[in-house]
Parts: sequence; structure tokens; C-alpha cells
Amino acid sequence: MTSKRPGGSSFQPEVKRKRESDEFEQCYVSRFENELPSVPTIDKTGWARPAVDKDLGISKSIACQILEVETYHEDGSATSYDRTNVKLYGVTKSGNSICVIVTDYFPHFYFQAPQGFGVEHIGTAQSAICNMVAAAKRRGGSGQAQLPGKVVDNLVHVEIVHGENLYYFRGADTKVPFVKVSGSTEALHKARMELKNGVNLMGKGPVNVGNLYESNINVIVMFLAKTNIVGCGWIEIPAGKCRILSNSEKSSRCQIEVTVPVKNLIVHESDGEWAGIAPIRTLSLDIECIGRRGVFPEAIKDPIIQIANLVKIEGEAEPFVRNCFVLGTCAPVVGSNIIQCVNEKVLLEKWAEFVREVDPDIITGYNILNFDLPYILDRAKVLSLPQVSHLGRQKEKGSVVRDAAISSKQMGSRVNKSIDIHGRIIFDVLQVVLRDYKLRSYTLNSVSYQFLSEQKEDVEHNIIPDLQRGDEQTRRRLAQYCLKDAYLPLRLLDKLMSIINYIEMARVTGVPMNFLLTKGQQIKILSMMLRRCKQNNFFLPVIEANSGDGEGYEGATVIDPIRGFYNEPIATLDFASLYPSIMIAHNLCYTTLLKSPQGVENEDYIRTPSGQYFATKSKRRGLLPEILEDILAARKRAKNDMKNEKDEFKRMVYNGRQLALKISANSVYGFTGATVGKLPCLEISQSVTAFGRKMIDMTKLEVERIYKKGALDGKCPADAKVIYGDTDSVMVKFGVETVAQAMEIGLDAAKEVSKIFTPPIKLEFEKVYSPYLLINKKRYAGLYFTKPDVHDKMDCKGLETVRRDNCPLVAKVLGVCLEKLLIERDQQSALDFAKRTISDLLCNKIDISLLIISKELTKSGDKYQAKQAHVELAARMKKRDAGSAPRLGDRVPYVFVAAAKNVPAYERAEDPTFVLQNNIPLDTKHYLTNQLAKPLARIFEPILGDRAEKILVEGEHTRVRTVVQSKVGGLAAFTTKSATCLGCKSVLPRAESENAVCKHCEPKLPTIFASRMNTMHELENHFGRLWTECQNCAKTMQDKVNCSARDCPIYYMREKVRNELSEASAVIERFGDPCFQAPTK
Amino acid sequence: MFEAKLANAGLLKKIVESIKDLVTDAPFDCSETAMSLQAMDSSHVALVSLKLEVGLFDTYRCDRTINLGLSLANMSKALKCANNDDTCMLKYEENEGDSIIFTFADPKRDKTQDVTVKMMDIDSEHLGIPDQDYAVVCEMPAGEFQKTCKDLSTFSDSLNITATKAGIVFTGKGDIGSSVVTYSPSSNTDDETEAVTLEVKDPVNVNFSIKYMNQFTKATALSDRVRLSLCNDVPVVVEYPIEENGYLRFYLAPKIDDDENMD
Repeated sequence: MTSKRPGGSSFQPEVKRKRESDEFEQCYVSRFENELPSVPTIDKTGWARPAVDKDLGISKSIACQILEVETYHEDGSATSYDRTNVKLYGVTKSGNSICVIVTDYFPHFYFQAPQGFGVEHIGTAQSAICNMVAAAKRRGGSGQAQLPGKVVDNLVHVEIVHGENLYYFRGADTKVPFVKVSGSTEALHKARMELKNGVNLMGKGPVNVGNLYESNINVIVMFLAKTNIVGCGWIEIPAGKCRILSNSEKSSRCQIEVTVPVKNLIVHESDGEWAGIAPIRTLSLDIECIGRRGVFPEAIKDPIIQIANLVKIEGEAEPFVRNCFVLGTCAPVVGSNIIQCVNEKVLLEKWAEFVREVDPDIITGYNILNFDLPYILDRAKVLSLPQVSHLGRQKEKGSVVRDAAISSKQMGSRVNKSIDIHGRIIFDVLQVVLRDYKLRSYTLNSVSYQFLSEQKEDVEHNIIPDLQRGDEQTRRRLAQYCLKDAYLPLRLLDKLMSIINYIEMARVTGVPMNFLLTKGQQIKILSMMLRRCKQNNFFLPVIEANSGDGEGYEGATVIDPIRGFYNEPIATLDFASLYPSIMIAHNLCYTTLLKSPQGVENEDYIRTPSGQYFATKSKRRGLLPEILEDILAARKRAKNDMKNEKDEFKRMVYNGRQLALKISANSVYGFTGATVGKLPCLEISQSVTAFGRKMIDMTKLEVERIYKKGALDGKCPADAKVIYGDTDSVMVKFGVETVAQAMEIGLDAAKEVSKIFTPPIKLEFEKVYSPYLLINKKRYAGLYFTKPDVHDKMDCKGLETVRRDNCPLVAKVLGVCLEKLLIERDQQSALDFAKRTISDLLCNKIDISLLIISKELTKSGDKYQAKQAHVELAARMKKRDAGSAPRLGDRVPYVFVAAAKNVPAYERAEDPTFVLQNNIPLDTKHYLTNQLAKPLARIFEPILGDRAEKILVEGEHTRVRTVVQSKVGGLAAFTTKSATCLGCKSVLPRAESENAVCKHCEPKLPTIFASRMNTMHELENHFGRLWTECQNCAKTMQDKVNCSARDCPIYYMREKVRNELSEASAVIERFGDPCFQAPTK
Repeated sequence: MFEAKLANAGLLKKIVESIKDLVTDAPFDCSETAMSLQAMDSSHVALVSLKLEVGLFDTYRCDRTINLGLSLANMSKALKCANNDDTCMLKYEENEGDSIIFTFADPKRDKTQDVTVKMMDIDSEHLGIPDQDYAVVCEMPAGEFQKTCKDLSTFSDSLNITATKAGIVFTGKGDIGSSVVTYSPSSNTDDETEAVTLEVKDPVNVNFSIKYMNQFTKATALSDRVRLSLCNDVPVVVEYPIEENGYLRFYLAPKIDDDENMD
């Protein structure tokens, strides 16, 4: 058999990538002058929007969907007011872009009319305020020192309206006079400052007007609320009611530009005919730039070499424009238009022309907000190309980049760029994903993998120069990468239906779409409040945010769990929309809040369990309950429409709407509890949670009272027991055996127990868990049944399967163990699996990608109080190679490596790629005791008892270990390896060190050889499979694979197998050349 | 079949206690002539090399070279059962499974105790540091070296050793201050165990992590004397001889200032 050996042809994995040569030349700048014309030939078919119908606005009305809103200031003159106008950018049904300039709208605010203020004082007040504003303007010295008297008189307008402060119930009908001050935003701002100091309103000396109302609300939100326009909603301008601007008069690049007084606008509800979406154009782009070695590209030095663009119409399946602007020659790419540019200047200018020509409504891409767009704009500045920054729809205004900090409870604090591309929405997919999904990694690659099950070839920055400097084929490869990077964001948007969902959210809440991405949660509820208040003449007071620690209040309640593994069905009763329905049922609102109780309890007012008083419905219906009722009703409608709708696209729209409504309903409660918010009202949020707590307790008592043994015509075999309850659900053990029985009693219980609550509070029976593993508060797992025969899914809450702060191995092992426990109900095989994994871990057989933990680098090292693993590692990686080191905002992947005793964890973190390349041993013990042991012990404890952890950590399976020898580390350079017997591991004497085995093992030589050969063949196969997988993913069969995607499991496997394979082939070498000699005995 | 008997369990106890914080899993190599162990610490900065020659044992039998993998933590647990004066017999029978038996016998009381410890299957490479000529070899009382390291570690993480013909200087410099210990080669050689001897071919100046030195000096109990072998840019050897029939050596890589793995 020895003759069968492959004669010395040991498997040679791919040679390590060639490093970029040190002498970095700027040879890509002017190399193509001989090969390319100075102006590229461009095929522009399909770029332009459809032609405009000539009759539009004259004999036909103009209907358009509003996407972007901005305001601008128009100085007053002798004949007109100083005013703030609003520009609405939108798209018509036939796909024409339009800019609607709305005139005669005046921003305004209110204050309560001082005692004795009457109609006769309006004139005095107006001129007093106007004069003070004018004085302030002159002081500001904004070049308008000479203000004509007429203009001064018209700076602001004052009138009397009747209304009421939103806060507190003061009696059924207590509208009082308010003074409404309207004018341009600038004038109002000045007026506000002056009013604080007191103004001579009634000609009797300065009057302090106290609290202002609605003066601190975003002007765009105010405009939309007051005109009833909603973000992404439809408006119509009747024929002949607007002025159409000729091309020379236009301020924008839109196909149509009109001015229309606010009173001529017709606003449509987003229903029926107007529920649809206009043919919105989305441009997805990606740039490639060339970096110097070890440095991340900087706009000041490093040129852009490619820009890929895809343009798609919302609702269509595929993009209708695909092109890539390339610096230098480039071989054609099938299906895409390659535009070869002679230098970077031409590239950028032609690209900007392209953007203006296709005129997209939405610009998307991956991280374009913080990288691609700022880079292009910075580059334009460096090369002095002012035209390139004109990407928006305003003729006179270029785009500028600013830093914008956003801080919200949902997102934490972060600093983004804010780019103003007038009239177009920047819809960065990264921002969307960051907002809406919790993932381990946010690279485009892993996000695509997560949602599309598709990956791309992830090319390191430092190989881009090689590709660019190569020939037209290598640049073609680069163009393919670039096009793919522009294509994936579009696919993601389609798959996640983000655009539709955001449009629907904008329609439901009324704010423009880009507010949803750039602002926090509160603005949405504020916009809804404002709309409702307008109808009922309530005014929103300005509340100084007291950004102190704020008084906390008690949250939801948890019924102490009776832990264990329940092998019988556990029924779950849920409160449907708990917090909204409490607010509706008990009429909790700003407008019903009482300072002190008046009248008869439970008739005129109620006392909430937290001790606050609210007026009852009979006194006044609250605003919040009305809003919530509307939202819930609208959601029901949307769900119904969704069911009845045949058109797939419209169904998606309805689904997006019902989701938006659900989220909005639930965030109303949070809005009242936000102490730094615009309208905090802790009395409401406290009462809501107090009701919630009380109701959970009542449910428990009621269920256990009714469903005693023998209840329900003897269908209850035992006393019902509530084993756990949290916030809005209770888990009940009825003692029945089958899921069907549990469902029957559960349905009955939901109906019966609901009776004790005020409608619309309702208990619903939705699901049965069987079996059910209750580990602790907020930690449980179970098999989820909504139908009696088959389970829907396995449901895990609070377990490591769904958390991100540990390595994927934990989630994986836990997932499999739970599956075995719950679905197969085989405890032994679950335990065996856990043990086998632990054993593999100690033998270094676990794939490194499963051990990677990732954390987001939110601020640099010195800003953290305690040293943190990922921060320290990022600093170390920066020392090693600044170009590939993680930057602020990246998620840093790391693994724990072995180190001396008492070395703190933050020093043990290491870059997984570095670990693989240098064969650094992993701290398997840390993974076992700190990561795996506790979560596994938790799920096995209900089964194995308290010894679970000991069995797992110290059992038989932990006794085989592999010690890895690192290539770095202080001693590595000095050690020599002595040969050991491949059979029994004993050290071979020096004279025999060439042999494969020791004398003792010689008889077993063939067996040992066979098993080693086997190992190598397996590795060869494995490597081959991984390599093919990578080729498939990169879609190249001839070229080498350039991918080094840091969050792709295959990349790590490939690297690891590559190392193991070279070791294995070295071992085979030791058996020497094949020979036919019979073994001597 | 492997069988070896030590007169005092105390010796093995001291050895295990002094290395168990550096090495967790130890593959012992047993041959006809000696029982030895070579293992790196987990951060690959230090190497432990132990050799117990046949002469140390009362009886010794080893039919063939074998490799016995033991967890030092478990070995330490087993040895805790023994009194220092008990004899200690190690026994491994190839055909009797995967355990090693420690037999402790108290000759005065005619008591024996058998402790079985499960072995581990440790897959590691066998590494060693080749012998070489060192520029400086210094011998001194083991207790003296231990105290010096301990004193300096209160000031610094790093130990600087300079040696010339005139003497050997240990320096620890830190933020709060510094400590310098100087030994001149002792002229009075009356008391051999107290003398400091120094052989210098070339002067040396090297830095080490003091944390590891303190780990090594746990072996002070094994021997009165310690020998330091030094050379620039080469690992130091800290050797504790064991009754002339063996040794416990520690190798420690020199500290390079930029090396962030070391402190």
C-alpha cells in the first residue's frame, strides 16, 4: 500500500497576496491621455425623466407626492411682507419632478393674552413688537440698517384666537384668549427673545407674557401640521390656481416649478386613490478611491477612481440605468454602461452632470452619508470643481457637509455628517439598518448575508491600487466590485421594504421622510399631537427641558417565575396593545390631568393606582386616547385592506402602514415619559405602568380563582397556576396534557378574565408553549404553538441565542441544545452535544469565526472610563497597520487569546486575522468558563440540577486538549522543535529524529500513516470546497480570490484550513519517500 | 509500564507548586534515564524545563519512552493528600486505562494511600531551547535572588540586569521611584551556600518582565542556590538544581520595549 503515495506533490495553497510595493507612485493621474479622448462618449438613453404635459397647471390640475420640504426666507420690500416661504419637492403621477413654492404661509406662535388685553390693543401690540424686532435686526447689523417704515410695520402680525393650554383639565369649556404672533421665522425668533424681557403691549409699560406656546417646534413640522400635509402624502393644485415659472425664472432644476398660495392647495388623505406611490427615482451609488499604503483614503490626497450608479423606479423590479464612471480604460461589463474618463476631473464632472440629468428623488448607497458623498464633495473642493457640488435641485446652492450630532434613547449618541442636497432625500441604507436592526456586524457584506443570503467579495483597501494600476481587465474587476456595492443597497431596500415602510411612517406621523432618519422618536408623536391640538384649539406650551437625572418611576411588573422545565403545555394570555389601551380605557391625557380631585370619584374623576387624578370621559375626552383610538382603528383598517388587496405592491404598502401605526401607538407612552422631551408628563406614564402592574396581578388572581380543579365542566384536571408574568402577559399552567386542551381553556380564560377590565383593555389568547423552559425573569424558551397540531417556531427570550455581547458559538450551541430539548425532547442528546462542543473547543477544533465577539468602537480610548477590550485592541491594531485598523463607529471583531495568569481581559483581545496568521493560541478556558459555562448551565440546571455547571466544565470530555504553538511571543524565536513519535508522542532520540515513529510504534506504522494520510485528504477536500465556495461567491473561476471579509465565516475557515493543510503535508513528508521494502521484523 | 518511587513526596509537591501557575497542562516525557517536562506558559514568554534523573528516585522503571499528560492542578490536588515525608510512588500501566496512580506511604505508621488521577491527552509540539554559551553565569543564594526580585517588583514591572566583571546590578525603575541592588563577587568563599559567584566573558545589559521572575522564584524552596545564565538579546536561564540529579529551569525571553504582549 505504501506505493500509493502521491510522490512528494504536497498540496500548495495559494501564495499569499503580493503586498503593494513600497514606492508608491502617483502613476494613475495622467496615464490615459494617449488612449482616451478628453471628453468621454456617453450613452444617455433613458436618463431623462418623461416629458412634461403642456396642459398641466393650465387646464389640468397638478397632483404630486411630497418628498422633501424646505423653507427659505424672502426679504420684505415696501410692498410685501418679510416672509418665510416653503418649497415642496415632489413627483407627479407621470414621474415629473416638481417644486411647489407655497406662499402666504406664516409661521407663528402664541402666548396667553395678558389680563385686560382686548381687540383694541392689537394695533399697539403689533407695532410694539414690530419695532422691537426691527431694533433687534438693526443691532444684528445684517445689512438692513435702513428698514422702510412699511416693512417694519409688517414684520409680525398679531391677532387674538381662543384656545387652551394642553396641560391640565380646568373645566369642560374654558377656552381663553391667546395672542397669535405670525411672521417670518427670523422675525419670530427675534420677537421671542424680546417678549421674554417684556414688551409694552397695551401702552401701559412692559408686560411679561409668561410662557410661550408652540414657539420651539420645527418650522417644517409646524407647516405640515397646520396645512394638514403629511410627509410623502399627495397634494393637488387645481388648474389655473398657480403660477407656472418659466425656465429663466426657475430657482430649481425640477421639470415644473410653480408658486401657489397656501389656500389653493388641496391636501389628500393617503387613502384610496391617493394611497399609491409616485414613480420615485432612487439612485444607488458607490465610489472607489485609491489609498496609499497603510492609510485610509483621505479626500485631500487620494483620488476617486470609480463611481458606480444604479437608478431604479420604486415598484419596479430592476434598475433601468446601470453605469460606472471609470478612471482609465476598462473592459466592458455585461449589462452595464462603462464610461471611461481620461482623468479624475472629467470623471467627477461627468458624474455630476449625470446626477442632475437623471434627477433622482432619493439617493441611497451604503454609508454614503458618512463616506461616499462627503468624499466626493471634499474631492470637488480639492480639485476646485464647483459644478460637482451642485447635485441638488437648487440652481444656486451647492451641497455642503456638516457634522450633526444626534442623541436618542433608541440609538445612543452618535455624530453623523449632515449633507444638504436640496430637494433629494439621502436614504443611507447603513443608517436604516443601524436604526431598525440589531446585528453583530454592520458591514455591507454581513448585512447582505443576513438579509439576502448573498455575499460579495470584500477587497481590502490596499489591493485596490494594484487593480487600478493593472490593465483594463483588472480595472473591470474593480468596476464589478463597485457595481455590486451599488447594487446590494438597492436589493436590501427592496428586501427590507425600507422605502415603503418609511413612506408609510411619514404618512402616519406627518413628518417628512428624512426626519425619520435624521431625528429621534419624539418628533413623530409631536407632529401627531400638533395636528390633533390644532383641531381642538389646544396649544402646546414650551417646556424647558430639565436635563437633570429626572425622577425615575416604577416600571412594569414581573410575577416571580416558578422556574423549571415544563413538559406540559403552558398557555399564554396577553394584553393586546397594553399601554395604548390603558390610556384609552382610563382616559389618561394631558388635557384630563387634574391638579386636585373635583367632584365625585369614579364619576367625575378617577384616582390611578399611582395616586394621580384624571377627569373621566364624561367630563372630557382626552386627546391622547383619541389619537390612540384613531391609530388602532387605522391599523385595523390597514390590516383589513392588506387582506383584501390583490396587488402585491399595494399590499406591501398596507403592511408598512400597519407596522408604522403599531410602532407609533406604542411610542406615545414613551413620549410622555421622556423627561428631556418636548412634552413630558410623568403623571401619565406613571399611571400607565401602575395600571399595568395592577392588571397583571388581577389577572393572576382571577385565573387562579376561576380555573380550579373541575372547572369548565370538568375540563380542568387541576388548579390553574400562573407560573410567570411579565409586563403584558401571563403564563398559566392549566395542568392539561395536550396543546389542544390548553388552547380551549386558554380561549375561555381570555374571554372570562377580560370581563373584569375596562374596555378596550382586552386579554387575548394567542399561543401555547409546550414544552416550556423557564430559566429566570425575562429568560425563557419554549416551543410556540398557535395551532394545536404543529408548532410554529422555537421562541427564546433573553437567552444568549438572541444577544450580541457574546460569541456566536454560544448562540449556536444553545440553539441546538434547545432544539434537542424542546423539539426532539431528548435531554441526553442535548447534553452530549454540549459536551462534544466543549471538547472540540479545548482541542482547538472550533472555527474561529464562531469565537469572535464584536463591539462597536464609539469613542476613542481615553474617553472610556474603564479600559475595554475592543478599544485597546483597536489602538494596538492602529500601531500595526493604520490603514486597516478599525475606525470610530466600526464594530471591532476580536477573540480572546491565551495569556499569563492575571492578565486583564482587555489585554487578551486580539484581531482574529492576526491570530490566524500567527497561529496564536486561543484562551479556550476563558471561552469555556466565561462564555459557555453559565448560559449552558442555565438551560441544563432545570434538568440536571445544581451540578449542571460542574458536569459541563469538568467532565470526562474536557480531558483531551491541543496546545497551539504561536509564531509570535517572546520565546518563539529561540525555541527549537524536537521530533516526537507520530504514534505515541514520546520524544525521539536525536539519532532517530528523521523517523516518523519511535521504535516501539514501528509495527503500527502503516496504520499511523493511513490515518495521517486520511487527515490530509480530508483537509484537502475541505480546502477545495471552501475555495470553490469563495469562487462562487466572487463569481470568478479563473482569477484568484481577493476576498478578506472579516465577518465571513468561510474566510476564517479557509485561512485556518490553509494552515492546517501545510502542517499536515509537512507531517506526511516525515514518512519519507515510498518504498516497497517489506517491514523488517 | 512506568514505575518510579521518590523518597519524599515533598519534592514533587514543591516542584508542582512552583510551576502550576505557569503551566496548566503538562506532558511529562518519561524515558529510561529520566523523567522530564518541557512546556511553555500560555503567553509564550516563558518556558519551563524540568529534569528528574534516575538518581533521584529510590526505584525507577521505564520500559519504553512514554508521554504522560497531566493537569498540574489535579496533580497538586493529589499531592496535597501526602505528608512531606511520605514516600511517593508514581505508577502507570499501559493496559489499565488512562489514569496514573500516586501511592503515598507513611513508613512510620505503615499507612499507604492510593490516589488515582485521570490523565489528559495533550496534543502539543515538543519545544526546547538549545544549549549555548552564555556571556555571564552568576550563582547566588536562591533566597537572595527571590528577595531582590520581590523588592524590585514594588517599584517596577521590569527588571534590568547589567553584569560586568565588577559585579552584577539589578535595577527596577518605576513611577514612584527606583531600587538598585548591586552584588560584587564575594571574596570570602568560606560559606559556599552564601557566596555570589560571577563568571563574565562579555558584559550584558538585559531587561525582563519582573512578573515572571517572581513566578520563577517560587522554586526557591527546591534549592539553596540559583544560577542565572545571561546573554544579550537571548532568553535568560534561571536554574534551580535538584539534589545534583536534576534541575528545574526557567527560560524567559528578554523584554523588548515596544512589545505590547509583555506588559
